[in-house]
Amino acid sequence: MEISRDAYRAIEDIVGPEFVTDDPALLDSYAFQYLAELIRPEHSHFMPRPWAVVMPRTTKEVQAVTRLANKYKIKIKPISTGWYHWAAPLKDNEPTLQLDLRRMNRILDFDEKNRFAVVEPYVICAQLQAEVMKHGLNINITGAGSSCSIVASACAYFGAGPSSFSMGNNSDNLLGQEWVTPAGEIVRTGSVSSGAGWFCSEGPGPSVRGITRGYLGSRGGLGTYTKCAIKLADWPGPASLEVKGRPPGYRLPVPENFRVYTIGAPDWDSFAECYYGIYDNTLGYIFHRQFNLAGADLATALWLTYIDPTKTLNDVETAAADPEIKAINEKARISFQLILAAHSSDGIELQDKILDEILTATGCYKVERYCDKDMAEFTNMYLQRMGHKHCNFIWAGGYMGSWMQAGKPDWVKTYVPTAIETFKNDQDSGLLVQCGGDALMGCGSTLAGGGYYGFEQFVSYDPADIKSVKACVKHMEDAVVTCREKGIPYGKEYLYLQVAWPDEAVWNALARAPQTFVFDFQRKIKEAFDPNGLGDRNYPWLPEGWGKSAASAQKE
Amino acid sequence: MVANITELTTIIAEDRFLDDPPLLKSFAQDASLVAPLRPRYVTRPETVEQVQALVQWAMRTKTPLVPVSSKGPHRYGDTVPSVAEAVIVDLTGMNAIKRIDRRNRIAVIEPGVTYAELIPALAGEGLKISHPLQPRANKSVVASLLERQPTLIPRLNYSLPEPLRNCGVVWGTGEVAFTGEAGNGPLSLDEQWTRGQSQLAAWGPNATDLMRLVTGAQGTMGIVVWASVKLDLLPVVRKVFTIAAADIAQVTDCVYKLTKVGLGDEVFVLNRARLSQMVEAQAGRRAALAAALPEWTLVVGLSGAALLPQQRLAVQEKELRALAQEFSLTVGEGYPGVSRTDLTAMLDGFCRPDERAHQDIFFLSTLDKVAGHVASVQSVALRYGYPVADMEIYVQPQHQGVSHHVEFRLPYDAADARQAAMMEVVYHTASDKLIEEGAYFSRPYGYWSELVYGRDRNSAEILRTVKGILDPENILNPGKLCF
Repeated sequence: MEISRDAYRAIEDIVGPEFVTDDPALLDSYAFQYLAELIRPEHSHFMPRPWAVVMPRTTKEVQAVTRLANKYKIKIKPISTGWYHWAAPLKDNEPTLQLDLRRMNRILDFDEKNRFAVVEPYVICAQLQAEVMKHGLNINITGAGSSCSIVASACAYFGAGPSSFSMGNNSDNLLGQEWVTPAGEIVRTGSVSSGAGWFCSEGPGPSVRGITRGYLGSRGGLGTYTKCAIKLADWPGPASLEVKGRPPGYRLPVPENFRVYTIGAPDWDSFAECYYGIYDNTLGYIFHRQFNLAGADLATALWLTYIDPTKTLNDVETAAADPEIKAINEKARISFQLILAAHSSDGIELQDKILDEILTATGCYKVERYCDKDMAEFTNMYLQRMGHKHCNFIWAGGYMGSWMQAGKPDWVKTYVPTAIETFKNDQDSGLLVQCGGDALMGCGSTLAGGGYYGFEQFVSYDPADIKSVKACVKHMEDAVVTCREKGIPYGKEYLYLQVAWPDEAVWNALARAPQTFVFDFQRKIKEAFDPNGLGDRNYPWLPEGWGKSAASAQKE
Repeated sequence: MVANITELTTIIAEDRFLDDPPLLKSFAQDASLVAPLRPRYVTRPETVEQVQALVQWAMRTKTPLVPVSSKGPHRYGDTVPSVAEAVIVDLTGMNAIKRIDRRNRIAVIEPGVTYAELIPALAGEGLKISHPLQPRANKSVVASLLERQPTLIPRLNYSLPEPLRNCGVVWGTGEVAFTGEAGNGPLSLDEQWTRGQSQLAAWGPNATDLMRLVTGAQGTMGIVVWASVKLDLLPVVRKVFTIAAADIAQVTDCVYKLTKVGLGDEVFVLNRARLSQMVEAQAGRRAALAAALPEWTLVVGLSGAALLPQQRLAVQEKELRALAQEFSLTVGEGYPGVSRTDLTAMLDGFCRPDERAHQDIFFLSTLDKVAGHVASVQSVALRYGYPVADMEIYVQPQHQGVSHHVEFRLPYDAADARQAAMMEVVYHTASDKLIEEGAYFSRPYGYWSELVYGRDRNSAEILRTVKGILDPENILNPGKLCF
């Protein structure tokens, strides 16, 4: 199926003929999306193909294309840097324009004193960070990495990362947004809407941002975000990152006013106690459990190999069998990374003392090998810039992040053994990377100031091997069943799986939610702002009255 | 109307449904310039179920409801009915502190819980809440946070609604639903607690942030029946410092840096009139004290909690002195007539009962614009003969120093018709001028609502759409904001 020539011509007139295409080869490059094989028929790597790809340059062009889409009843799916299969059209045979926002890549304003920047959707974290660090400022880079869009994390998706513990997630840091609704209206939220500048996202009166800037955001399902203002954080480090070392194990020297540690815990109870100690004492510029994405059985072997310029990935197996490395690995089995920073030598020394007291009190410890200069500098590089996203795929070319239910530390530690056991059982098939049941990683806090986190279980699989793909899907389904049986809220895998479901199945699931008020609210918002249904289920809703009687009997 | 009331008395006890003329009069007017209007009844529900039944009854009977959570005196007109025959929903009796969770530093409270009740209860658990500067003792904590009143510790103001996290709401649809993380769980706090769930994450549920739609809403979207609030550790050591300046511009860069590096707990700026008003209990002595004070004072509170508190305080003090020196400023610990004890009491105390009437003009801005705003308001005051020396000014960094609450308090003699008339002109003229120069009236009470939404039709239109969804019969505080 293809876009009508009239619509195509009109889009050419708006953005110029070189910025619209319906060339199937190019369309397929947009349909090829990470995780697609887990949910598509016959485990295809391709999501549904858009009917055309449009690359607008300005908000006005986005608006004009959106209005045209209303006229021709074509769906709109914006994508900036993209991540996950749901960045593509969700359904086959639905006419969809994919708005590729890569030409909207300007930092529009940087206000050093008032600590904010106004950016377009294709400004990536690394780009802005490099600019603002020159002025003693920094940004919260999300777990998705520095190659990802700031607008996406702040306006449309989940905005937490290793630095959110101290800097806040990008939902907290959002200071205003510009939104082209599916109806083609341009909406600005907060102070900028009142003509007062981009410094506040609340009000006037109730905050309009509340209709879309929720937990996950609307993920391209309800119009297009074309600008946002983001709050910047303090950066007590050098004006630029003087990267050392040889690829791929780049290193970032640790300034005198910084400390880079990997902290180990003897068990999950001690981990939680240590967490509460760090939380109460407001330590931590960066707090993250990063290296465990490789799995607790293999992590040390991988990372020590990775930073050794004389070794390759082929050496990991040998390293993993090395008794010395095995011993280090056991010390690091339950561990996390903590970077401290201060503005004075007194300040950093005091933080060190406080940390030592916490470790003594909780039985936790610094994992010495990880705190050696080479690993500490590698850790510093990894977590300050978050430029190692490729490492997510390091074992077999594919990974699926499951679990990740966030909550208070005392609660998270209760589901960790279940997550580990479930994964370990599924690894026994031999079709998933056997890195140990604990490949749980994630931010020290998804909320500013700490006290709230969840672990993402990195399920590494081979996307080119259909048996491995099926094993990954089985793990997703097993995780859902386990959660249901144990009364644990569903994790990320449940959301991933839903992408493939027919509308009715999704609505049945939504209707079983403990509270359905928000899904009715979102339907009404959709009716008001998307009268022609240009958006998709990434902004979910319940049809009026759907499942009311059945659902009330089966509330979970 | 009377028949309808009879129907409602089957739900709410008759003695909690009142129409005594003095009581009605007390809700008919407040200290603002908003026109008075007498409500028809005052009702005092005690449970969520009663609030829900009340809303459902109001929907059926098209009766306007005005939720009120604090005891008076009220100041901004938001609790004065804008339409006739309104029923006041007085929530002051729903005042249970339902839970204080020391380990996760979160409390769940009902709307009638006041700062005077919550602060000591938290202190008993070794906790504190970042609160507004000298709130009324009987001010509802929930109402204060819902209305985004500025709080004293910018470092902890991770987003403007902080420390507000989750709310239980009876919406204008008559439904009960929770906001944020609590919106994902069962519709029962007890059940959520049994399952180990917290009410910590403000965002959600799902793609919506329902809490954001009840903040700044003046009770127009829903009636909040509980809220969770984020807490901090109670300091075990503490010092309050003053940095004097002849001109606010002199401390501007220092404030910018303090909030950037996150140094200090309480950080704010007062002019001499406001400082003297806050620290001197004797009204007759304030003018003399003010005359002896510097024109502006930057107040910085430092503290130590958790491990090594003394050392923590010492390091912060050293860093503060070094930072001030960068800007050629001197750090002190008060002034003659303003002792350390006075300063600590100012941070922790409640406001005294109003001795003089006053009108407040407040808004958000960036710090670099504040000196200009001060000059503008002073020029308006001078033009109309308002004594500039009486003007009390308070600047509070918010959202970790990215935005700033700027407040002008204008005392006057309300019994003097000439002064009252002058005040009205100054208030309106200064507000007009401020909004023209970029002041952001994010909490548009009374006169400001027309100014704000007249200029920002985009927000008004969207908010009306949202209001139509959440309060389809427009029964919740109709006539406020753009509704």
